[in-house]
Amino acid sequence: MSTDPSRLIAALARDQVNLDLKTVDLCFLAGLYLRADRAALASFEEDLLVDMFEQICDVVDPGAERPRKRATHAIQRLRDQRMLARVDGAGIVRSGEYALTRLAAAVVEYFLADEALTRESLTLLTGTLRAQLAEILAAAKRAESEEDWRQRVVAPLRVTVGDLVGGIERRQRGLDSQQEEVQAEIAKLLQADWFGAVERCQSLLDTTTDTLRELNEVLLRDTHHFVALLQEIQALASEAEQLEPEEAVQRVIEHVDRIAAWGGARQHAWSEYYQYVHRYLRDVVRLDPDRALSQRLRDQVAGWASTPFHLLVAAAPSIRLLRPLESRVERPPVTRLRTDREAAPDLVEPEDMGLAIETLVAEALAAGATSLVDVTEWVLPNFPEDSHYAITGRVADELARVTRARSAYERPWRPVEPRLEVEDWDLPTEGAPP
Amino acid sequence: MSTSGFQSLEEVIADEHFPEVDLALRRGRHIGRDDGTVYDYLVDALDHLEPFYRRFGSELVQRSDGYFYLLPSGDRLGRRHLSAGEMLVGQTLALMYLDPATLQHGGVVQREALLQRLSGLLGTETLVRTLNPRKRKFDERIAAETVRTKVAEALRRLADLGFIDAVDDGMLRLRPSLMRFAEPVRDLSDQHAALERLVQRGEVVLGDVDEDDANGEDNGTDEDDEEAGG
Repeated sequence: MSTDPSRLIAALARDQVNLDLKTVDLCFLAGLYLRADRAALASFEEDLLVDMFEQICDVVDPGAERPRKRATHAIQRLRDQRMLARVDGAGIVRSGEYALTRLAAAVVEYFLADEALTRESLTLLTGTLRAQLAEILAAAKRAESEEDWRQRVVAPLRVTVGDLVGGIERRQRGLDSQQEEVQAEIAKLLQADWFGAVERCQSLLDTTTDTLRELNEVLLRDTHHFVALLQEIQALASEAEQLEPEEAVQRVIEHVDRIAAWGGARQHAWSEYYQYVHRYLRDVVRLDPDRALSQRLRDQVAGWASTPFHLLVAAAPSIRLLRPLESRVERPPVTRLRTDREAAPDLVEPEDMGLAIETLVAEALAAGATSLVDVTEWVLPNFPEDSHYAITGRVADELARVTRARSAYERPWRPVEPRLEVEDWDLPTEGAPP
Repeated sequence: MSTSGFQSLEEVIADEHFPEVDLALRRGRHIGRDDGTVYDYLVDALDHLEPFYRRFGSELVQRSDGYFYLLPSGDRLGRRHLSAGEMLVGQTLALMYLDPATLQHGGVVQREALLQRLSGLLGTETLVRTLNPRKRKFDERIAAETVRTKVAEALRRLADLGFIDAVDDGMLRLRPSLMRFAEPVRDLSDQHAALERLVQRGEVVLGDVDEDDANGEDNGTDEDDEEAGG
């Protein structure tokens, strides 16, 4: 199984995992769990399941019709949600045999089992854990091969030690929820009985305070031993260049640190809560035994808009800090870069393309050109290539002005350059009439 | 016999806590047990600081609920009165402080719970009109937004004054100094008589007051005294 939380969550989302348990389902599971516990049953026959469901129905929903049919649906619903598993493998040959899954057991245990941390349970757990760690340390000292490390160090660390540490953490969570219940109960007692509840509230506060103090003492003392043993195992693994045991020890150390931190954090939080409630009982409840102040204050707030009053508070301004005194401040004048606006114009080469074309056309004619193509080919090499297309038009224009061209009805297209053609004209030869 | 842990005013002023405490008190802050060593310092130095502040025309008040504050009565030290928003929010928070349901969370309440309680006590319309006395017409959405803004502003100022602590976003820790808002109804006598006594002691002013004055500093106390007296 991947350990990457993002992948795990993505896989859960992909599988569309969900739980939908109604009260009757939970009661049914609890009934099965208790029956299995008392009768030491590993699994249940189908008839037993149906009987149990009918008994549950009598309690939860006495008027329900067709309980056997409802039992069939409930069993299917629980199987779909992986709460019940069929364990006989007989298919349709005979009626099935079912067992509660680990998930179902965990859900029922949450509601039924009282797993809050107590001094007794913590002392027992930490004692067992210490003995286990001492054994693992001895095994680590004797370990000679990789197989020894895996079987005698890594496996017990992961299974036995992991379970014990997990057990402490689970009970810590149980105590957390117990504390929340105490806080809710104190509020409820005062709500119901106000002054009469003071002694009971004080007693609840003191009991929880004592429990937390004792637990924290045990945790502080024992976690110190655990970490010392674990570090010794880790050092041995490091010496033997065994990476896997080293990592396994590191994970347990992190768990143990978390357990120790829990004790300190809870005691601190509870101490704050204790002080607050203690002050409340002394300043509010004992000074107002009839609980009349709340009602009078409520009336005051409701009627404040019609008879307003305002509290006065001190409001001295902050001390003014003056800037250091300067007798005269020299401010630099505003300036900008001067530019020479009278600069002489740039000299450039003169351009007179028209004149050049006129001259070149005249030269071409004088040289005996007999067609527009001849003249164009004479002129174009004198100009840049990108202007040849335009020059070709102007050559034709110039030629039309200085001579009389003749053309056939269908003027032939002739190439001047590889990518340029013109509709050719014949020019009058020397001696011919213009 | 003196109960002070300090032998002289010089020692009190030379203590490292003095500048912080003095500035906080002059800015109207209520210093309570939650403030830790600063509160302990005030308890120890009270015998010397009471006459010290009296010379500034102010009284250093210690309440049995476990908090101190400075109450200027003359014109030597600036003072201001709380705005309508601060008064309404403060009184409602005091009511919540008294509620046993608040105990469950160690005196921490949600901002939303405060708004619900305010609206439940006064009714939305009264609340809107009290917080916006100058506006005659209201759009429902704008009015709700204005109330939230005014309440947020009041909470910020009440936190500066040491009546509450802003814990996280949306959570407020209530402090015993909120009981100042319950002073007029603290004993069983008639509320008006109790208010008059508080006016005489310079703890409150009566009647509608200018919101602008509540927001700013009020160094000229003569007007307030006349108002309070009248």
